[in-house]
Amino acid sequence: MSRLLFVDDDVDFLEVMTMFFEKHGYKVETAQTPEAGFRKVQSEPFDLVVLDVMMPSAFEGFQLAKNIRENLKLTDLPIIILSCIHERKQVPYRFAPDRDYLPVDIFLDKPVKPDSLLEKIEKLLGENREKPAQDL
Amino acid sequence: MEKYDVIVVGGSAAGLTAAQTARRHYPDKQVLVIRKEEKVLIPCGIPYIFGSLESPLDDLIPDGVYEKMKIDLRIERVIDVDRKEKIIKTDKGSFGYDKLIIGTGSYPAMPPTPGHDKDGVYAIIKEIPYLTEMQKRLKSAKNVVVIGGGFIGIEISDEIKKSGVENVSVVEIEEHCLSQSYDDDFCVEMEEQLRSRGIVIYTGSKIVSIDGGEQVESVTLADGKKIVADIVILGIGAVANADLAKKIGLRIGLTGGIVVDRAMRTSDANIFACGDCAEKVSFFGGNSSALRLASIATLEARVAGANVFGIKRETPGTIGVWGTAVGNLALGTAGLTEKMAKAHGYKVISAVNESINRHPGKLSGAANVKIKLVFGANSGILLGGQVRGDASVGEIMNAISACVQNRMTAEQIAMFQSGTHPMITASPIAYGIVNAAEAAISKMVEAKDRS
Repeated sequence: MSRLLFVDDDVDFLEVMTMFFEKHGYKVETAQTPEAGFRKVQSEPFDLVVLDVMMPSAFEGFQLAKNIRENLKLTDLPIIILSCIHERKQVPYRFAPDRDYLPVDIFLDKPVKPDSLLEKIEKLLGENREKPAQDL
Repeated sequence: MEKYDVIVVGGSAAGLTAAQTARRHYPDKQVLVIRKEEKVLIPCGIPYIFGSLESPLDDLIPDGVYEKMKIDLRIERVIDVDRKEKIIKTDKGSFGYDKLIIGTGSYPAMPPTPGHDKDGVYAIIKEIPYLTEMQKRLKSAKNVVVIGGGFIGIEISDEIKKSGVENVSVVEIEEHCLSQSYDDDFCVEMEEQLRSRGIVIYTGSKIVSIDGGEQVESVTLADGKKIVADIVILGIGAVANADLAKKIGLRIGLTGGIVVDRAMRTSDANIFACGDCAEKVSFFGGNSSALRLASIATLEARVAGANVFGIKRETPGTIGVWGTAVGNLALGTAGLTEKMAKAHGYKVISAVNESINRHPGKLSGAANVKIKLVFGANSGILLGGQVRGDASVGEIMNAISACVQNRMTAEQIAMFQSGTHPMITASPIAYGIVNAAEAAISKMVEAKDRS
């Protein structure tokens, strides 16, 4: 059974996600602050982490992703970032996964339908990451 | 309500090419392009707005082609699509469609850095008012920092420097500028060229914050260094604009683009997507590709436009062919570099040829052209090539791309029948692509003899 960690300060969102993903056969853990999320990732094995970046400021969410990669050296742990930063800030550009600046696998704008999140999680967990190409 | 056989959303490289292709393949069909911009910028020409050209209005895709090819054009903003009824809703009205092609382009990517929203921080947004304002601000700027040493970053830096800005710096996170598409020796030559033109380059450097009050004053690098800046320009890449596709429930891929098959069909059989807004796979190995280039967009558009009423074409995936030029130094690349090929897991044999592109070399306009070809060691198939020289590298890079796309071997390239002329090419004895292939064959023969 794959273990997911949801980090978000919105308790209702965490509850909805827990119910939905448990129904689909996942083991779900939650954390409400970046610090609690970091401690969980540090102490327990997870197959995938979902972070909301507006908690309480966008950069703490982004920083948590960086800390997981850089400090915990979990370079292969799939991370999905959920955010409404684009809508709130109305900026003419987009934040996006970047190996150095934003080391996550997927950046999704909220609201995200649970079905669509499930599809992406299944794909990330099923995917053999960076398979080498056939040797010609 | 007006009804069209084909409606294309977006009027840049992908949209316009898709409309033209649909018109050519289906001369009896009614084709409409809906775009939100009054005028459309030539995307690759944007860096030159800041130095060589006078204004963004000198960098436009001409609209004459619409009349010439009998393609209707509406300047409207698409709000929604009713996929069941096949109706597009815009801010001004509605249109019925039979087939829809989405070419909504991309947004510039921004690193999530504190201070990204300060006044004076610009991304390369393909909109005339934004770029006009940016150009105005640059006229009085003294210190400009460009984040990202890819082709946009280096071309913009050089143009800004040329326009008279005193201090221009480029901050690149990798060990070298352009290193995602060129091997180190090519990158180093370009860095030397930039330095010789007065541009300061920080490689292996990451920005951690953009600082100042409301207005940007400096940027801070990971090693603590501060660079004074009254303008910061971001050129680190692009992200698919799949907003409309998301809204209407089309499948979105892991990198945020619209999911398409090789025929450029989306998850709705009547809707196609092409260009920066669509997900891409690499020509090599089929992994997802983050490359966004206008030349890829037009290839995909030629596939989408031809396929709207029956599949005729498939994209082979992105090879990654592009050039860049600063002053009299031009670089071109197609396919994998040696470093990338090795990282992909290929065993490679590479070879370099340098020759003069006139014969004799004393003729006017002669330049030394270096060509590096990278082959699969086991198969001898060409995986990629890079060229350094003058403007002639443009079509050499495209010839290399043709060889890559047709999976030609070193032996086939060695047997290439080229045409040469003293004033326009290298000598037939020193013809670059052929001689680089021959040099690779020598290495393959040596390797075989050793084993």
